[in-house]
Amino acid sequence: MLTAVKNQTRITALSIKYALMREMLNKATFTSNVVFMVLNNASFIIQWVVLFSIRDNIGGYTLKQVLLLWGLAAMTYGVSRFFFAKAFSLSNIINNGKLDSFLVQPKNVLISAITTDVSPSALGDILYGYIILFIYGFSFGTFFLYTLFGILGGLIVTAISVILNSLSFWFQKTDVIAETGNNLMTNFATYPDGIFKGAVKLLLYTLVPVGIATYLPIQVLTEFNLVKLLIVLGFTIIIVLLAFLVFYKGLKRYSSSNLMIARI
Amino acid sequence: MKKYIFIFKSELMSNLQYTFNIFVGFIGYLIMLFILFNLYRYLYSDSSEIINGYTMNQMVWYVIFTEILWSVSGGRKFCSKISEDVRGGNIAYNINKPYSYIGYSLASHLGEMFIKAIVYTILAMIMGYLFLGMFPSLSILEILALILISFIAIVISSLLVICIGLLSFRIEDSSPIYWLYSKLILIFGTIFPIEYFPKAIQPILNYSPVYVTTYGPARLFVNFNLDTFLNILLFQLIYLILAYLLCALMYKKGVKNLNVNGG
Repeated sequence: MLTAVKNQTRITALSIKYALMREMLNKATFTSNVVFMVLNNASFIIQWVVLFSIRDNIGGYTLKQVLLLWGLAAMTYGVSRFFFAKAFSLSNIINNGKLDSFLVQPKNVLISAITTDVSPSALGDILYGYIILFIYGFSFGTFFLYTLFGILGGLIVTAISVILNSLSFWFQKTDVIAETGNNLMTNFATYPDGIFKGAVKLLLYTLVPVGIATYLPIQVLTEFNLVKLLIVLGFTIIIVLLAFLVFYKGLKRYSSSNLMIARI
Repeated sequence: MKKYIFIFKSELMSNLQYTFNIFVGFIGYLIMLFILFNLYRYLYSDSSEIINGYTMNQMVWYVIFTEILWSVSGGRKFCSKISEDVRGGNIAYNINKPYSYIGYSLASHLGEMFIKAIVYTILAMIMGYLFLGMFPSLSILEILALILISFIAIVISSLLVICIGLLSFRIEDSSPIYWLYSKLILIFGTIFPIEYFPKAIQPILNYSPVYVTTYGPARLFVNFNLDTFLNILLFQLIYLILAYLLCALMYKKGVKNLNVNGG
């Protein structure tokens, strides 16, 4: 069991490494993707400076806390899009019968399928996340927690995308639903939860778990709370397991289209 | 002109097949609107409060309108398409065709966005009414003037996106430039009106694409004024000509250096 996990991890790391090397073939494009993504994210600082010129406190957040929220949201987005880029176009792979090449490999089909590509701009998101952490206030404890939450959040977002994209095994045109679900997570994650009330707030901690991926971590980073940390950790494990379950349940319905493709 | 109308119509007809996608896509728009509605409800202590010259109702309608223009422009996919045409060599197929590539791209994009514009406008107006319980007061003539201004705004946005996409002749991937451009339009004209920014930068924004593509039409929607209308129309016509000339120049220069391998 341990050897299998070790082998899978090694294969996944190699897959990501080669995908990154492929993207780095054109260094100018690669660098501009990363740098412009940092600038793209940074442009939203203007939005919050304008809003905080009206009120000192928005939804219980100060400007620094909102920046941290943005930084963590960018980290989460970056981790999911960099390491598991294909999880966001999985329905396309399923619909076009491109899973064949992964099925013949003696490795985990889902992990192999979603780690074959990387998004260079997602590195800009991760970099931006750390820049924001330095602006907020760096300490080794915060750095560790921030990185942990970035990874956990990334896993949550990826798992949700896998679940939504796996609907393609059962229904048609689910790519739009998956895209809407992914946008939903990103959009809510960049606004303080204090501006939402009642049922919406409940929704953000259940059906659209932005609260667990982003809001709870911000609360832990502001004031450490072990219970909240364990909730985030537990939820991540459950949602990741659920993603595997849904994908493999759907995979039983998959039929090949005999599509001949070369994986370069 | 006839051929471009035909391209527009064919794209429109083909997109009628995908109305389901438009309705599902509207959910994304609705979510953004819902978030901004909550944000402004939080910022305004009561609906009669005026911040930077706007009441809460005006701010929400402003955002509803700018978000329609933003969503209907569909810039991200359009920019990728132009960029992909250049990088993938597809643009070569258009060189010997009896139409201009810019005219073809524009007509095809507008045809693709037409149904989306109608659906989004109707649904957004209903949502706005449900949120606020009122409509901005506009006469029939003012609505017609707004349709004209909004149409020109979308055409200018599309031409500017074509310009950015054509940058792929020089740099391989023009998407990063588009991200930055779109965020500047989003922040300086879509989420807030120009009046929300420091007085020192307001004159710059009044001459920028923000004025003709988002702020101007939305400003008219919440507070129609004939002088403002004529001013925006004048600026839009100038921008329209300049954006087209820039596209034509970039295309002409880019095609000269085009080197397509294979076929």
